[in-house]
Amino acid sequence: MSHERKMMSREELEKIIALCESIEKRGLDPFSVNVKELLTKLRRILEEQKDLDTIILDAETLYKIAVLISLQQKWLKERASSLFIDSQLVSLKIASAEPKQLAIALARSWRPIVRAEQLTPYRLRQGMEYFLMLPPRDRAYEKLLTTQEDALRIVKEAGYTKDIALEEEVKKMHERCITAAGSGGELDYWSIVSADTFEETVWRAYVLSFVVSEGLAEIKKNPLTGEVKVVPYPSKRKREKITTFVVSLKSGEVSDLGREEK
Amino acid sequence: MEERKSEAERAGKKLAIAASMLLFSSHRLPGVRGWELRRRLGKNYLKIIDALNSRLNSIGLRVKIMFDQPSSDSPAQEDFDKARFFITLSEPLSVADIVAAGWSIEDVAILAATLSYIFTKSGKATEKELVELLEVKFPRWKVEAAIERFIRKGYLIKVEDNMIKVGWRTFAEVDEKELLKAITEITPPQPKDDTKDKT
Repeated sequence: MSHERKMMSREELEKIIALCESIEKRGLDPFSVNVKELLTKLRRILEEQKDLDTIILDAETLYKIAVLISLQQKWLKERASSLFIDSQLVSLKIASAEPKQLAIALARSWRPIVRAEQLTPYRLRQGMEYFLMLPPRDRAYEKLLTTQEDALRIVKEAGYTKDIALEEEVKKMHERCITAAGSGGELDYWSIVSADTFEETVWRAYVLSFVVSEGLAEIKKNPLTGEVKVVPYPSKRKREKITTFVVSLKSGEVSDLGREEK
Repeated sequence: MEERKSEAERAGKKLAIAASMLLFSSHRLPGVRGWELRRRLGKNYLKIIDALNSRLNSIGLRVKIMFDQPSSDSPAQEDFDKARFFITLSEPLSVADIVAAGWSIEDVAILAATLSYIFTKSGKATEKELVELLEVKFPRWKVEAAIERFIRKGYLIKVEDNMIKVGWRTFAEVDEKELLKAITEITPPQPKDDTKDKT
């Protein structure tokens, strides 16, 4: 029974704290709360419950009420300084006024700041240093042609794209994964990705990333051994949680790995 | 005689430094702090600012001091050191001047309505309240975009729980009492009498 009463008192105090906080935070009318009533409630609770927890909570509530009273004082001061103009009255005036009338009202009370922008010698020096630090641009790209075909041709020539349909490659990689996994259901990441050349290894890792993104396989990493496994699925699976997995490829290490596997 | 001349020269130079510091801002925010003026102009910087103020008055400008804390009747030297000093117009602009400066009438109207409403709500109101109040007169997207713009310009501040407060720039540029007075003095436009035309 006493425990129940204690819980009820505690709840009551917490409610008072929450009320005071919401008034403070949301800028509501602090006179909407009956402070006298709150203090009477506080006194009753303090007389009924003498345990340390309640006394501490009681002190906190008293502090919040004190803040509320100071808000009441501030509110009165502001009301007096704003010529007792109520927000309701202002809302009505705004609703009934023409935009130009509102603009004139602001113009009457508005004295904009006067300032000029300038470039200081310090900023000028900083800009010069930045300019000198910039690497020279490759002149070849300045001659880029505007049509899409020409742009693609240049990118292809530069070695940024392959003339291969990615969809086909993804399909092939998926099949290769399933075959390699066999009955175990999983295979080592490096065994499927490693190739003789660094470029080919990067290409395989790139295609495999699409297989995984499509939901046709999953990558698992053992945090203790660092082993990375690929678990291929026969059909697409919907994932509940998607995370990014980064695998770093270094030219020397990759070719070594490929040889080890072989 | 020589001595007096050099003293006048020195004072003139300090006035020029004060004017350049206040006009040409090197910070993101306009104006300078009191301690920055003290460092360049010496401990009597307030006298120099006074002298500059009287010179600026003749060309329609004034030095405005914005204290960090709401100013008491007699601010201490420390308050001045922490305060921000700006140059503002001494007289308000006309609507035509404001439009010529690149503002649209609707934007100015939205700012007037927003500020006056926030002033009467103890300095803060929810964004929802403001949008609801203004969408009676302006399209919602326009109101939201304008509020966003005023936040960027420093006239408003967005705080937690989507509350909008008055920003530093409003305190520096807008006279709260004058604005509220002007808003309450607005008389609704009279509907045009159609019968007159017909007769």
